[in-house]
This record gives sequence, structure tokens and C-alpha cells, in this order.
Amino acid sequence: MIPQNMHTMFAKPNHDEASRQDFVNDFRVHLAAKVFPGAFPAYFNRVLPSFIKAQGREPKDRHEVRKVMTKDSYYQLWSAMQRNSQEMIWDSVIDSVERQLPDLLEKAKDLNGKGSLTLNPNVIVPKYHDAADIHLQPGAYHTDSITDDLAAGAVYDRGTYIYSMGGLGPANDGLGRILREFFRKQFPDKKVERALDMGCTIGGSVTYWSTKETGTEFHAIDVGAPCLRYGHARAKAVGGNVHFSQQNAEKTNFPDASFDIVTSHILLHETSVQAIQSIFNECYRLLKPGGVMMHLDLPQVFGQNPLEGFLWEWEIYNNNEHFYGQLRELDLAEVAKKAGFDPAKFKIHQVASSWEDGQTPYSNENFTFPVYVAVK
Amino acid sequence: MAAEKKDDKKPVKLPRTAKGKKPIYFDSTTDKLLSMVLTLMGELSVMRDRLDTVERLAEKKGVFKIGDVENYELSEEVNKIRTERRAAYIARVLKSVQDELDALQQQGDGMNVDLAP
Repeated sequence: MIPQNMHTMFAKPNHDEASRQDFVNDFRVHLAAKVFPGAFPAYFNRVLPSFIKAQGREPKDRHEVRKVMTKDSYYQLWSAMQRNSQEMIWDSVIDSVERQLPDLLEKAKDLNGKGSLTLNPNVIVPKYHDAADIHLQPGAYHTDSITDDLAAGAVYDRGTYIYSMGGLGPANDGLGRILREFFRKQFPDKKVERALDMGCTIGGSVTYWSTKETGTEFHAIDVGAPCLRYGHARAKAVGGNVHFSQQNAEKTNFPDASFDIVTSHILLHETSVQAIQSIFNECYRLLKPGGVMMHLDLPQVFGQNPLEGFLWEWEIYNNNEHFYGQLRELDLAEVAKKAGFDPAKFKIHQVASSWEDGQTPYSNENFTFPVYVAVK
Repeated sequence: MAAEKKDDKKPVKLPRTAKGKKPIYFDSTTDKLLSMVLTLMGELSVMRDRLDTVERLAEKKGVFKIGDVENYELSEEVNKIRTERRAAYIARVLKSVQDELDALQQQGDGMNVDLAP
């Protein structure tokens, strides 16, 4: 596995833990490169001809493809192994974090650095977050197992690195790099005094932003306390400068027109139809006139053929990404319009995922992240 | 390892099973068997890496010859350590069975039934 950057808060695996994590990573690389591609011949050589023979036509949408593909033995085996590999990620990482948790808690107390942390125990974890553990991370991003817990953040930091097979780069901040690069291409001269990142989890992205836009006051919010505690400590450890606070992005305590940009990095697909409207409404309220809203998220269904559409939705049914299915068909231009944004100033950009050397698994030029942008 | 100093403190147990409905791929038992096979794949890989580290270090430092391994005699203490490690290993491989057992025990009339035959 490509080594991940060590920092003070990183739960360094011991020999066998590292070996176990390496195995999970390499197993997932094998599944992605050698096993998953077999879904195509399974479909075109076996499932599709059988469907046409029975129905006299091709499947009309991804839902019809799902009905037949999930019964195909090859697809079933890949899917079952992929699910197992996801569970194995967390198990391999939790070992390291659980073993070192007392030390990590001490280190977090001792760290000096910039930024701040404001927790609010009255924040209610919304149902869309609490109903199932996102990405199968046991306890998700909000469960405290001990006073001042930060384990969920430490598990997330390492687990998402293995999940992406190192694709987010050695500092695990690739999404922040992609969005900031996009922002500076689109708005080269935009002056940013204050910025807000919504649904920041451990703040990997916003912390990166804060190291590059040093004249900006960065705020970051999330509902998960252990991730925020870890995020604050991690930001200090890597020289970031972010003010973290425990808040729901649907309704924050920041004043009207108080930010020049509001961002999120793969937040929207973890929420709900109602929540997305509330989040866009809140973005509109928080932005100064001329301020920019940017949400980087996962691809929608538009432009995908039925097989692609089906394959893209594996995580919905197998990896606790339940809301992503609805987001894929949502008219976000309409959501932005309802929030108050001028439709002429809303645009969906497709942003290439390569962020550095073109060597990462996410650097396929065909793979892009949609970024939903609106200017107030 | 820094954490080894903290062995006197009561260890924290983090959650190990994700909340949410688990899909059925083949059938419940076959799915568990697949989990076991994949976990075994992983653990065998971990073991081979560790052995590789030991062999390379031994060779590099001139500590022992590979033939010495064949003549090694197990002490009582080492036997105890290995027994504990083996128990943890077996629990890891059979985790999917334990998960179902935990769920069964939390259900209605079956709650807290004596597991011994």
C-alpha cells in the first residue's frame, strides 16, 4: 500500500495490524482491477442474452438490470467479497485505534496549534445519519465510547484511506485538493475572508484548504463529536487553522451573510431530500452577496446507461449509502432555485478526479466528481 | 509501542459491528463461510509477512539459522502465550457466527438462554 502520512494523531499500526491493513488494501485493489471488470462479460454474455430471450427486448433502466444481475453467480460473488472487504477495513483499523486510544487522548490534550473546537451536546444526530452506520463504520461518526472520545475520527482517517486504496493521497485530503483547485480556476481573484465547510467529519479537506488560503478564517461543522475532536487535534498536528463546531448543516448559529464561500466534500449523498433543501437554504442565508456555494459529491444517474447506472448503485444497497439513490435523480437546480439562488447563477461542473500525479486509483480521466455551484 | 505502557489501564472497547441491514448474497450460512475464508486469507497473509520479517532480521543480524527453527522446544510460558493468541485468532475468523449469536440472544424468548448443551 502507498504509505499514508504519519502525524501526531495518527494511530500507527503495529507490525501485524499494518500487515492486516495492507492485505485489505491489496485485496480491494485485486477486487477492483481483476474481479469487478468481470461484471461486464457476465452481463453482456450471459445476463443480457437471457433477458432478451425472455422479454424480447433489453432492460429499460438500471432497476431492471438490478433484478437480473443480482441473481448472477459471478456478480453475487464479487458483491459479497466487496462487502466483506469493507467490513475488513474497519476491523483492521479499529485494532490499532482501540489499542492506542488512551495515548491518542493524551496527545490530543497536549497538542498546541491554531484553530478551535466548540462542542454542543444538545445537537441531535439526524435520523439519516443514525439509522444505519454510513460506509459500515461501526458506530459511524458520532458514537462516543469514552469521555472526550475521538476514536471514530482516528478510525475514519485510516479507514477512508484504505477504502480509497490511497486514492485521496498520502495526506488523505484529495477531495479538498480537487475542490480548491477547481475554485481557484473558476474564481482566481475571489477574496475569501471567511469560509465554512459543512459535514466536515475529521476536516481532512478543510484543513488542507486552511494551509493554502492562509488569509481566510475557516469554520467547519459536523454533527459527530468524536470526529470533530479528532479533526481539531489532527488540524493542529498538520499545521492547519480551522474553527470546528458541532452543528447540523441544515440550521447553523452563524449570522446571515457571514461567509464568502460555503463548501461540502461528499456530504450531500449522506443526507435526505428535505435535508438537502434545508442545507441549500442555509447556504443562501449564510453567503454574502457574491458569495459562492460549492458542493462536491458523487455522480448522478443522468447520462449513464442502464448497466452503468446499476453498477454505480452498489454502495446504496451494500454499503449503507441509502440516500445516494435519491440524490442521483434529484433536480438540484430546482433545489437551488427554491433556496433563493438565481437559476442563471447555478451550474453543475464535472471535475476531473486526478489531483496530483495521475497515479492514484481515482485518477482515471473518465471519472469525474460533480460540483454543484451557485453564486449568491 | 507507546501503547504498551498503558496496559494497566482498563481497555476501551470500540463498536465492531455496523448498524444497518446486512444483505444476503447466497444464503446466510454460505455468506458466513465466505467471510471466514476471506478472513483466513487475510490472517495467513499477516502471518507470512511476520515470518518474512523474522527470517530477514535473523539472517541480517546473524541471530540463528533457519534450521534452528525445526529444533525449537516449546516452553510452558510460550505455550500459554500461543494458546491465548490462537483463541483471539479463532474469534476473529468466526466473527460472523458470533454476530449472529449476539443477535439471537437479544431476541424475545431466546434472551440469555444458557448456551451450554
